[in-house]
Amino acid sequence: MLDDRLDDQLHDAARGYNPPPETPREEMWAVIRAKRAGGQPESRADGRINELRLSSVPPSARPSVRFLRWPVGIAALLAIGIGLGRLSAPRPEAAAPPAVAAVIPPRVSEVAYQVATTEHLGQSEAFLTLFRASVSRSGNEQLASVTARQLLATNRLLLDSPAASDGRTRLLLQDLELVLAQIAQLSPRPTSPDLDLITNGLEDSGVMSRLRTAVPSGANPTQGVL
Amino acid sequence: MRERELIGRVLAGDPSAERAMYDAHVDRVFRLVFRMSGDLDRAQDYTQETFIRAFERLREFRGEAALSTWLGSIAISITLNGLRKVRRAMDREVTLDDSMLAGRPDRVAEPDLKERLSRAIDDLPDGYRAVFVMHDVEGYTHQEIAASLGVHPGTSKAQLFRARARLREALADFAKE
Repeated sequence: MLDDRLDDQLHDAARGYNPPPETPREEMWAVIRAKRAGGQPESRADGRINELRLSSVPPSARPSVRFLRWPVGIAALLAIGIGLGRLSAPRPEAAAPPAVAAVIPPRVSEVAYQVATTEHLGQSEAFLTLFRASVSRSGNEQLASVTARQLLATNRLLLDSPAASDGRTRLLLQDLELVLAQIAQLSPRPTSPDLDLITNGLEDSGVMSRLRTAVPSGANPTQGVL
Repeated sequence: MRERELIGRVLAGDPSAERAMYDAHVDRVFRLVFRMSGDLDRAQDYTQETFIRAFERLREFRGEAALSTWLGSIAISITLNGLRKVRRAMDREVTLDDSMLAGRPDRVAEPDLKERLSRAIDDLPDGYRAVFVMHDVEGYTHQEIAASLGVHPGTSKAQLFRARARLREALADFAKE
């Protein structure tokens, strides 16, 4: 009897648990639209900016630190290489006897380019492996596209550098450029044929196997060099 | 407009259909999420995320359950995960007292049943709390709860039974008054 009475009271009182206010439907819709469009948040009617809270962005939609830090590291390495190369290169205005300056080989620069190239090829291989194995199935094409663009930038720097003086490396970088450009241009919702074109291209051009050959397995390319 | 037709139009990229789908379900989603989180900002975040995820994954909706049930399952999953993250973050940063727990809004100690019940519901384990709120507060059926939580309807009934038992136990002194 007492239990029954308590149950009734519980049932009535439960309806007052965290009573929701009126649904802020317009405010939420504005944020949903902005996020789906990938754009900026819209202004509220009261003039305040309706913040997009990072906490509410699905993890899958957030930029991956793992993806983004590769190109940044490679770019830094390239910058060091280029800097060292410039420092060690002969200066035209130097008044010193030209014979002495001319015989100093830019050895440090070559090593830096080699390290940067190996690093870039290693990261590209890892990225393409990841892309082929998971990204093409899990809908992270937009993130892959961003990463590909950054790798592409590094790739073009290397193509224009002494790193590409070796014929095999230049050909590999050129083929890699094609693949990265295709991924970079993926639409947010790519069709299966788009993805198939890329993965088939990877197979046909043998880019993956050439990348694996070019990158020493298990070795950290920077170890013992710098 | 029938649900199937609406879904078809959303999938075809019709913005007005997206809005119609949102309008049809947002109140129910927001009410549930607010009841669970007890916080307006979090409720807005979780509701927004629910619809963003739903629009992104609508192609995966097979129509085996009602669209509202499918949305409910996304909403409850996002809410429970979100509240766990908030609680973990708060655990790391501060020494918690009862009034600071995520999804457990501040309450002034009042000896009335409503207030005591709210505290007792706050203290239920997440699974029990979700079932209790969905069934006894928001009026979901056990079938809907089961589909939303990915459990068997019998499990939902058992969890509700246990949740009520815990609440009765916590409020036993009221029965004696």
